[in-house]
Amino acid sequence: MKRESTPLEGEHPEDATVVLQNIKKSYRTGFSQQRKVAVEDVSLQVRRGEIFGLLGPNGAGKTTTLKILLGLVFPDSGSGRLLGKPLGDRLSHRKLGFLPEQTYFYGFLTAGKALDLYGKLFGLSHDELVSRSAKLLDLVGLRHDSHLTLDKYSKGMLQRFGIAQALLNDPELVIMDEPSSGLDPVGQKEVRDILVGLKADGKTIFLSSHQLSEVENICDSVSIVNLGRTVREGKLSELLEVEGATRITLAGGGPRVRERLGPLARRIDEQEGETILDVESHATYRVLDAARELGVALVSVQPYRQSLESLFMEAIRESSD
Amino acid sequence: MRNIGLLALNVIKDTARRKLFYVVFIFGLAVLALSPLLPSFELGAKAQFLRDISLSMTSLFGIALAVILSVNQLPGEVEKKTIYNILSKPVSRLQYLLGKYLGILATLAIILFIMGVEILVLIYVRLHVFSPLIFQGVFAVFLECAVIAAFCLFMSTFATVPVNVFATMMFYLVCHVKTGFLHDKLVGKSVGVVKVILWPLYYVIPNLEDFNISLQVGYGGGVSWAYLLRVSGYAILFASIFLILAYLLFRRKDL
Repeated sequence: MKRESTPLEGEHPEDATVVLQNIKKSYRTGFSQQRKVAVEDVSLQVRRGEIFGLLGPNGAGKTTTLKILLGLVFPDSGSGRLLGKPLGDRLSHRKLGFLPEQTYFYGFLTAGKALDLYGKLFGLSHDELVSRSAKLLDLVGLRHDSHLTLDKYSKGMLQRFGIAQALLNDPELVIMDEPSSGLDPVGQKEVRDILVGLKADGKTIFLSSHQLSEVENICDSVSIVNLGRTVREGKLSELLEVEGATRITLAGGGPRVRERLGPLARRIDEQEGETILDVESHATYRVLDAARELGVALVSVQPYRQSLESLFMEAIRESSD
Repeated sequence: MRNIGLLALNVIKDTARRKLFYVVFIFGLAVLALSPLLPSFELGAKAQFLRDISLSMTSLFGIALAVILSVNQLPGEVEKKTIYNILSKPVSRLQYLLGKYLGILATLAIILFIMGVEILVLIYVRLHVFSPLIFQGVFAVFLECAVIAAFCLFMSTFATVPVNVFATMMFYLVCHVKTGFLHDKLVGKSVGVVKVILWPLYYVIPNLEDFNISLQVGYGGGVSWAYLLRVSGYAILFASIFLILAYLLFRRKDL
């Protein structure tokens, strides 16, 4: 198992909003009370103002990590800080917004009453509560359904409500568990826009998600966990960049181009009239010279980035071996 | 303090949703059903009998309600995971526990008060006897329910619902035979292994019979204010002990 980026080792930047170091957690299960390890060694760091994604297959330890962050579960060893305070500190929760997986709300309350309860728990004044509730219900498109009890809400509506209540206290840090769960493509896009808007406002967002495309689109940093361990962690752009590989895009193609340039590339593909070549970086000039000789125009040369999906699959495969 | 109040209010709303307040109608009907069964005593004796039996029923309903309200407060929220969203707010586990407990007490107070009014009205309508003393008995029932609810809440921090119900029933029974059966067996003159092992139990469990004043209210002039004050302190003491134990277990509990 390897870690692409290890910002925790010897580095403690002051702008870290969330820090977990070597967290371990096991539970006693069954009649024999045998210990089952849920988190073996998780370390991560979320910088102020970034969108951070926690990724991992089912049973990897994401939920336990999230619960440890929220002070719902206590680690066996390791340490952590949330908004500069020790984990579980009530004061740090004043500046924290949390979007749980849906259905974790009181179904007997209307959306308006539930926001009222949650807002008052944050100590918001009546005026603040009224204006913020109205604004947030507008933002998530639930203004006209705020009189309905939450048990009448559909899955998507509950998710939207969850986002509204998570932002009620104008938090510095928002922790979201599967923010797009249960939403249709339009809803997912709206949530992405909300997250990007929050980032623009200087908020820090920590999200746990299975949706790799969503994470790839909006996250600045990620941590991939598997079997209770952090297996990749760092800035997404750095993690996706394949060392020593370059992607060259040429205008035009055809059998002549494929025949001449194919042997020089790791992979050659034609898409919409363009030829895309993934080459070893040291072979870049040879390919460009050959393309010039063939009279094919250059469109772009850029570092080759793999997809998050391939990074994820590779990380899981390696750490499972 | 505000958070505790908000959480307590939420318990009352949840009780209303579960339609538990309807128990007062069932109670009213049950007391009403007793009326034709009254023995053919003279008027005063009838009123005494009705006061006594109604208070005993209030106690029965109250205890059952205290258990129903307390037994699933924590396990229910953990199972539905609604607790996650509350404790992720600036709410401490102590506030959460106290909010739940005070919500249970407030619900019990509302329901028991309505039951008291029902008894008062029924005795007045049926026998034209005004018996405000009934509220002394209802208050004593409330105190007993407060102890039972605290015990039940404490048990719910580690026991499953069926185990909790069984344990609370045992607790109720044992605490009611303290001055009788338990006194004879554990403090009396007989000596035995059981006595040696269990005698400390006699001194640490509350005597719930102290809260049973249905005879005094039914047939006498009630109890003194000093007595009510003493049993109030007694209830607060034991409820506090159970709540402290509950907090110690809940404080670091993984959810």
